[in-house]
Amino acid sequence: MATVQVSEAEKVYILHGIRDDLRVDGRGCEDYRHMEIETDVVSNTDGSAKITLGHTAVLVGIKAEIGKPRPMVPDEGYLEFFVDCSANATPEFEGRGGEELGTELSNTLYKVFNNKRSVDLKSLCISEGEHCWVLYVDVLLLQCDGNLYDAISIAIKAALFNTKIPRVQISADDEGGKEIELSDDPYDCMRLNVENVPCIVTLCKVGHRHVVDATLQEKACSVASLIISVTHKGTVTCTRKVGGGSLDPESIFEMTEAGKRVGKALHTPLMKLLQEEESRGA
Amino acid sequence: MIGSVCVTQSPVSPSFLLHFRTAEPLEYHRSFLKENCRPDGRELSEFRTTTLNIGSISTADGSALVKVGNTTVICGIKAELANPTVEAPGKGYIVPNVDLPPLCSSRFRPGPPGEQAQAASQFIADVIESSEVIQTEDLCIERGKLCWVLYCDMMCLDYDGNVLDACVVALLAALKNTQLPEVTVNTETCTPGVTLEKRHGLRINKHPVATSFCIFDDSILIVDPTAEEESLATAQLTVVTDEEDRLYSLHKPGGTSLSGQKLQECISRATARQREIQKLINKVIHSVKTAQ
Amino acid sequence: MPTDTKRVRGPEVSQSPSLFLPDGRQRDQVDVRPVFVRCGLVSQAKGSAYIEAGNTKLMCCVYGPKETERKDETDMKCGRLTTDMRFAPFSCPERGSWIQGSQDKDFSLMLQESLQPAVCLHKYPRSQIEVNVMVLENSGSVLAHAVTCASLALADAGIEMYDLVLGCSIRQDGASYVVDPTYTEQNSCSSVSSENQGGLTVAFLPSLNQISGLQSDGEMTEETLTAGVRTCIEGCYKLYPVVQQALTKAVRRAALPPPES
Repeated sequence: MATVQVSEAEKVYILHGIRDDLRVDGRGCEDYRHMEIETDVVSNTDGSAKITLGHTAVLVGIKAEIGKPRPMVPDEGYLEFFVDCSANATPEFEGRGGEELGTELSNTLYKVFNNKRSVDLKSLCISEGEHCWVLYVDVLLLQCDGNLYDAISIAIKAALFNTKIPRVQISADDEGGKEIELSDDPYDCMRLNVENVPCIVTLCKVGHRHVVDATLQEKACSVASLIISVTHKGTVTCTRKVGGGSLDPESIFEMTEAGKRVGKALHTPLMKLLQEEESRGA
Repeated sequence: MIGSVCVTQSPVSPSFLLHFRTAEPLEYHRSFLKENCRPDGRELSEFRTTTLNIGSISTADGSALVKVGNTTVICGIKAELANPTVEAPGKGYIVPNVDLPPLCSSRFRPGPPGEQAQAASQFIADVIESSEVIQTEDLCIERGKLCWVLYCDMMCLDYDGNVLDACVVALLAALKNTQLPEVTVNTETCTPGVTLEKRHGLRINKHPVATSFCIFDDSILIVDPTAEEESLATAQLTVVTDEEDRLYSLHKPGGTSLSGQKLQECISRATARQREIQKLINKVIHSVKTAQ
Repeated sequence: MPTDTKRVRGPEVSQSPSLFLPDGRQRDQVDVRPVFVRCGLVSQAKGSAYIEAGNTKLMCCVYGPKETERKDETDMKCGRLTTDMRFAPFSCPERGSWIQGSQDKDFSLMLQESLQPAVCLHKYPRSQIEVNVMVLENSGSVLAHAVTCASLALADAGIEMYDLVLGCSIRQDGASYVVDPTYTEQNSCSSVSSENQGGLTVAFLPSLNQISGLQSDGEMTEETLTAGVRTCIEGCYKLYPVVQQALTKAVRRAALPPPES
């Protein structure tokens, strides 16, 4: 991941600031940086969103394609995640440099959505055992300035909200075979219920406290972070410790509690914003 | 010569022997071979202790773990259903693969199979094909429609030389241990139905066993080489025979030449080894049966 | 897709017979499974360990410390810990692929993150320590046991460590949970309500009381998650004496003069 070098004196400065709940850029420990969300930014996708969080910029495009349901769950569609770490984001991603981070991020996204309620997968089924919608979620990192997980998850939620899946009609032909017909009307489409889509909150342990939405400088002062994905109800769908350090059980409990609080609070303004933008566009 | 010093002057300190072994491995081995014995105390035509454990992997349809000295190979067989090829509608598939993961020795790298693993896989595939250890016709369920695929994966867990012999024993024992579930094909819907409770074993026609040799200094023949001996030897040779002394494979990839008489010696040692291994497999299978 | 020329290939597609089984999977018992641990069984490796918990069987070999391969990102002060976790093709009820999938890579990464805090990497500057894990039979909770097994192998290799790392998993299923779940328990959900369905794996340093790895998925409330972490820590403590015993045994064996051959 993109990293910066921080001198010992800077480290002490950042650490002392965080101890007193005052961060270098003036934020408190549980405050996010300025966030901008824009939906429907890529016209040839079925849903897209771009988010900037501080200097971190992420673009998410969603493509809906018709595929075959998985044999173990014939009545559900599924999501596929791919994270592309573009060399634009940081020179470290040149060549195959971003591949490892890309797999790490997409693997975590699979875990975040590995439950029954985040996205109603049954609504993606077209005909049981034969056809279903597969949503290809492509994440493109444009710029890395810390806190990738949170930015990506918010962008995915916005893009899913924006996704319009064409309606399909199944008609049986004479020989009992099935035919799928896509609706001609571009406005005749299905929308996804994104209410339960979780957002990831990354908590960075710095000194004895933890901060939300860490910048690269703050991340350099921390040995371990906890990522936790929370739904609007406060249900946790995924947690994971990242980084080379270890954490005290007590601080893990504190961090999950804080993560839940921050995550829950994130959803309401986000949904409001998305709905406002939608009504403005219409 | 240092070598002669080591053998004649005794006692020698163990640390001296260790340094001698590291610094002059070839001389070290020669000094033993001259006295018709090997650094691990074996005679030239002596195998390491071979142990066998079958059916230890319950997720596999058949499995066996073989240890030849330190060398450990595990073979797991997974059976799956597939369509037969158009050219051979009445035959199933046997897909053998040897894996030498980085776990078994520092000489192997992660990633796709290296040359040695590829050569070993091909060797095993050739043995299976020429010996017809299993008739692929037996794997057919419904001609032209459905057949079994036996994926035989042999994985080396500890590489101390002579993996080929260990792989063949592991494969043979795993095949003997394999139990396939009963499959019936519904004639109306053409879909298979599987009953896991009813299982039957495979018909093993032949019992091929491999015996490997190394040639030292173009003349000295040793059996069942360790990894160190393999790396110092001038040539290697593997002989595969079955219970009726039929010769299936004589694998000698390059190296120094070998006289016809020496080769004859190898073959007779291999036939003796075949008897030992078949006895071992039968004994282990019998003991597992009585234990149940 | 490019064809794989380096392996003996089978047909293009084949299916596991378990797909055609009649419905109604059985559920296993919910007890903590007995563990068997042994150190130092691979002759070629610097250190090795084997662990068996119920039917889950895996082994780990440690090679190194040796010179790092990747010169470009060499850290002068610190060593590197590389992990590689693989599943044997026959290890799962469904036959696995030969090629390492993204799931294996994910396991490798989590293994690395769980082990790294325990290893004194600053003692091995400019070198790398390789940890290879092979799952021979997957009967659930593989990551947790891989962590335990790998830390044992590291200790067996004489790599300096702050503490052992022990792993424990639980599976939450509604109001009830199963410690050290089996494969079927991990992948089935009996209760209809999707409230509190999920899996949790914790890697724990017992004498330092630190959590070095934490990973969960599914859906859980914060309270359930916290309780789950506590249960996992308890589970790790249960494992501790067994692991210590295995290690002492291995050290004793190594300290004895080699038998006269």
